[in-house]
Amino acid sequence: MEPNGSGSDASRQVQARFVTRLPPPLRVPPASMAVPSHLTRFGLSDIVNLLLKNSDPDHENQPFDFLIDGELVRMQLDEFLIAKGISAEKVLELEYVKAVAPRKQEDPRPHDDWVSAVDGSNSSFILTGCYDTFVRIWKSGDVSECTHVLEGHTGAITSAKFIDIRGVENEQNFHLVTGSKDRLLRLWKCDAAKRRGDPIRVGAYKILAGHTSSVQSVSVNPSREMICSGSWDCSIKLWDVKESEEDGDGTTISLKKRKVNSKTKESVDARLEGAATSTLVGHTQCVSVATWPDPDVLYSASWDHSVRQWDVPSGKETWTMVCGKALNCLDIGGEGSALVAAGGSDPVLRIWDPRKPGSLAPIFQYSSHSSWISACKWHPRSWFHLLSASYDGKVMLWDLRTAWPLAVMESHQDKVLCADWWKDDSVVSGGADSKLCITSGIEIQ
Amino acid sequence: MGKGKYEESSSDEEVNSSSDVVEASSDEEVESSSDEVEALSDDVESSEDESSSDNEKVEESDSSEDEVAPRNTVGDIPLVEWHKDEEHIGYDIKGRKIKKQPRKDKLASFIEGADDPKNWRKIYDEYNDEEIELTKDEIKIIQRVISGRTPHAEVNPYEDYVDWFEYEDKGHPLSNAPEPKRRFIPSKWEQKRVANLVRKIRAGLIKVSDQNKEEEHNVYSLWTDDTDSVENKKRGGYVPAPKPKLPGHEEAYNPPVEYIPTAEEINSYELMYEEDRPKFIPRRYLNYRSVPAYDKGVKESFDRCLDQYLCPRTRKKRINIDPESLKPKLPSRKDLRPYPTTCYLEYRGHMGPVNCISVDPSGQWLASGSTDGTARVWEIETGRCLKIWEVGEVARQICWNPSPDRPILAVVLEYDVLLLNSGMGDIDIQTKMKELLHISEPGATEDAGDSKSAVTWIQHEKHDGIRMKHFKAVSSIEWHFKGDYFTTVVPSGDSKAILLHQLSKKHSETPFRKLGIPVTAVFHPSKKKFFVATKKFVHVYDLSKVEKIQKLETGVREISSISIHPGGENIIVGSKEGKMCWFDLELSTRPYKTLKVHSKDITRVTFHRTYPLFASASDDCTAYVFHSTVYSDLNQNPLIVPLEILRGHKPEHGRGVLDCKYHPRQPWLFTAGADSIIKLYCH
Repeated sequence: MEPNGSGSDASRQVQARFVTRLPPPLRVPPASMAVPSHLTRFGLSDIVNLLLKNSDPDHENQPFDFLIDGELVRMQLDEFLIAKGISAEKVLELEYVKAVAPRKQEDPRPHDDWVSAVDGSNSSFILTGCYDTFVRIWKSGDVSECTHVLEGHTGAITSAKFIDIRGVENEQNFHLVTGSKDRLLRLWKCDAAKRRGDPIRVGAYKILAGHTSSVQSVSVNPSREMICSGSWDCSIKLWDVKESEEDGDGTTISLKKRKVNSKTKESVDARLEGAATSTLVGHTQCVSVATWPDPDVLYSASWDHSVRQWDVPSGKETWTMVCGKALNCLDIGGEGSALVAAGGSDPVLRIWDPRKPGSLAPIFQYSSHSSWISACKWHPRSWFHLLSASYDGKVMLWDLRTAWPLAVMESHQDKVLCADWWKDDSVVSGGADSKLCITSGIEIQ
Repeated sequence: MGKGKYEESSSDEEVNSSSDVVEASSDEEVESSSDEVEALSDDVESSEDESSSDNEKVEESDSSEDEVAPRNTVGDIPLVEWHKDEEHIGYDIKGRKIKKQPRKDKLASFIEGADDPKNWRKIYDEYNDEEIELTKDEIKIIQRVISGRTPHAEVNPYEDYVDWFEYEDKGHPLSNAPEPKRRFIPSKWEQKRVANLVRKIRAGLIKVSDQNKEEEHNVYSLWTDDTDSVENKKRGGYVPAPKPKLPGHEEAYNPPVEYIPTAEEINSYELMYEEDRPKFIPRRYLNYRSVPAYDKGVKESFDRCLDQYLCPRTRKKRINIDPESLKPKLPSRKDLRPYPTTCYLEYRGHMGPVNCISVDPSGQWLASGSTDGTARVWEIETGRCLKIWEVGEVARQICWNPSPDRPILAVVLEYDVLLLNSGMGDIDIQTKMKELLHISEPGATEDAGDSKSAVTWIQHEKHDGIRMKHFKAVSSIEWHFKGDYFTTVVPSGDSKAILLHQLSKKHSETPFRKLGIPVTAVFHPSKKKFFVATKKFVHVYDLSKVEKIQKLETGVREISSISIHPGGENIIVGSKEGKMCWFDLELSTRPYKTLKVHSKDITRVTFHRTYPLFASASDDCTAYVFHSTVYSDLNQNPLIVPLEILRGHKPEHGRGVLDCKYHPRQPWLFTAGADSIIKLYCH
């Protein structure tokens, strides 16, 4: 029964029962058994695989992770029990889940310059922004295919987001927004239907001007009608993109025609420019991130060391938290989509719970990185998983139930500037080595 | 006297008789008394023999026989307690038990007492267990003693004076002179003196204190060693000779076995140095008699005497202070956060030592100039190089215009100062900058008269900026905080050493007279003041009146850089010998503090604009971060706390960190190294 049980060590055993919420083929009989207490999760994983093989000879070995009282086992079983003060007399209930680890590294998508923005919210396309001022759309698939190149910005792209995608498989219409260091946001439309060999070159149908300094981040609200942007001019601006969408179609095409035919750009610009609907003022330094997870609530992080929560209808701050470090990234997610994860000018990824009254101390701190954290993202469906990217060239996967990273992805040779989840089981990240790396096969239930 | 008297006063008390004996010895009949005493002792012996022979008789004898030695011989013991349950009360001189008398019961004794009229004269002698009836004479004696008179009525305490000596006037008093009158009259002078004292006491001139009484209690220890006493110390310190060591067990003639060295140990002593060898080796002797004379005894006592005589035993004044207590009380570093500690970002790209860096006022961009002939602009956030200017010469100094709507970079080359448009800012600003940095006709400086030869403003075609040609090599540049004026320093001895330029008018002037060879010059951050550093002094000028206000003496050999506290009242000066001086302009013209921190030249000192921090960079490849609180209260001196040593740069051709600058809004420090890397240290 035990794969590496030997001699005197085997004498110390704990009674354990394996339970799981996985579907039936991966369930083991619920009887309790004696397990050597010196086993780590790998040994436990072997036991479970062996049990599964007993019932189903076709079972393929796969790693599992084990939870005791909602905490991941990351040391020897006996050490864990002592550390947590759990009695070894009782029957231990070991819940096993599939281990979260990247299984496949896809070919990196090469860029001409640093990849500074990535969006993986669409399951079949990836949006990347680059320091060469172009935004690219990549189609999922084994071959690195760039389907569209959006050109028009005059500065490095800092942020790019899908607003929404309409239509069915071959007739998809993208609607997207990008922010750049040239102080402008651009709205783009393109459709995926037209496929030719070369990437399609697209121009913006609308330019949103108003920021007086580099735009650092762009975010779309849940109803997909508004966007917000944070900038180096210390302000957050909200833009309405719904109406522009209505008169959108014709303009895009006409712009494209005009761009091809004649470069009378100035006259076009005047018609195409949009203005901000409102401006949220309060930060004293560069607003590095603004996210809009809830229709009425907007979060922002800034270099003035604060995370602020804004009430969108009134435009007022409702919650301010000062963390002491300049912040570069922020994401809302986790339990009840209420936890705030943020990273910045130090190697610590911190997670706050704004619902907790009276305390502004982070509830979790993860400090395995060795340089600034450039991106952090909650898994879109899991409450426990999030990823972080750092200037030390690593992307790490975290589970709130343990203090160690689940996985460390060292696919970049230089700083990682942006990262995002893609298709729920992959991580896309772009860095200063001009590559978009895709790590897939991360199974998160 | 003697025996006769003895017999006469046989009923007297013992005390009296003993005094008589003493008297007897002092008598003239001393010679004869010795025989008599012997006879007396014989008499006593014989009487004792008698008493021992007829014991019963003695028991009945009255108290007049007290002089006879007591029958009981047990001594002074608590009889009642010890012999409570015994039949006897003691032993007589022959060792026989003396029986207790049968005890009368209380009633019988009471009745007996009531009947007997002499009962009040009876007392019970516990020691001999008998009742004694006191005679009337004895009662009288007791009464006299109680009343405080002499026990015997016949003793006359005031006997007539017997003059034993023979002299002329025998029969007369000592002097025949009549008693003088003063014997009877109180002294007049005494009276006057007392009156005087009383008057003074009443007036409060003399204070009657209780001090005199206290002085009476001035007890002192007679036998203690008074070398530590206050008196001794006042007198200049008698120091007692050190006491020799007292002999121990090992020096005994027959010491315990563990003290006696084995043969091996004795052999090992031979190998030791003379000084280390033990002076005395314990040995065993059978008895004390066989211990030989100590052969070194004379020599040792001579040595000790010599020691005591020659040794200068003077008291050394030594102050016992815990060195820790001398350290200034500094606040903990933890309380002074944030300050830069760790290097997280590096800006790589220069091909040679980076001479100078400058951060733009918004904190988004970093400009650097290098020996490789380029000036670069970096994005602070990511470390990306955004722009490169090939200036062709070594860029010595670089400086952002402090005004946010004038993104202009001033770069100092050998003889030239380049004003470059950094290209940051939106389109409006860019068009303004293009206008500002355009010189229509090169002869714009002609009206400047004197300075014409000093500086020429020329349009720089290649980089679309302005080139200011100086007549000599320029050493430093500094913008005025409003962003229109700037100063350049040409280290020469004449009046054209310090130049003031106005960007909007493209105009230069030299308002200062000559003052040695200036090194660097800076503007006051808010007032119309101007600081010029020469090699050893810092001159403070009032710009509106163009006159010298202060001259600060640094006391260092050569100043390399100065920086003004954002409050404007404190400056720090870095020198080429690694010293840093802090001046408080309100306090003095001399340094408030001089910090010797670096082992090599300080290349740059700089204050943080908003945080209470300053830093120094040096050629020893380190940068120091200090905390400095300047209080608004003028009575409180600035607090300077060293916080952190930032290491990481590698030496290149003997040079280390060439420049350091703080981020304008974050507690971050940029350092430019001779290893062609710029590092960012974050908190």
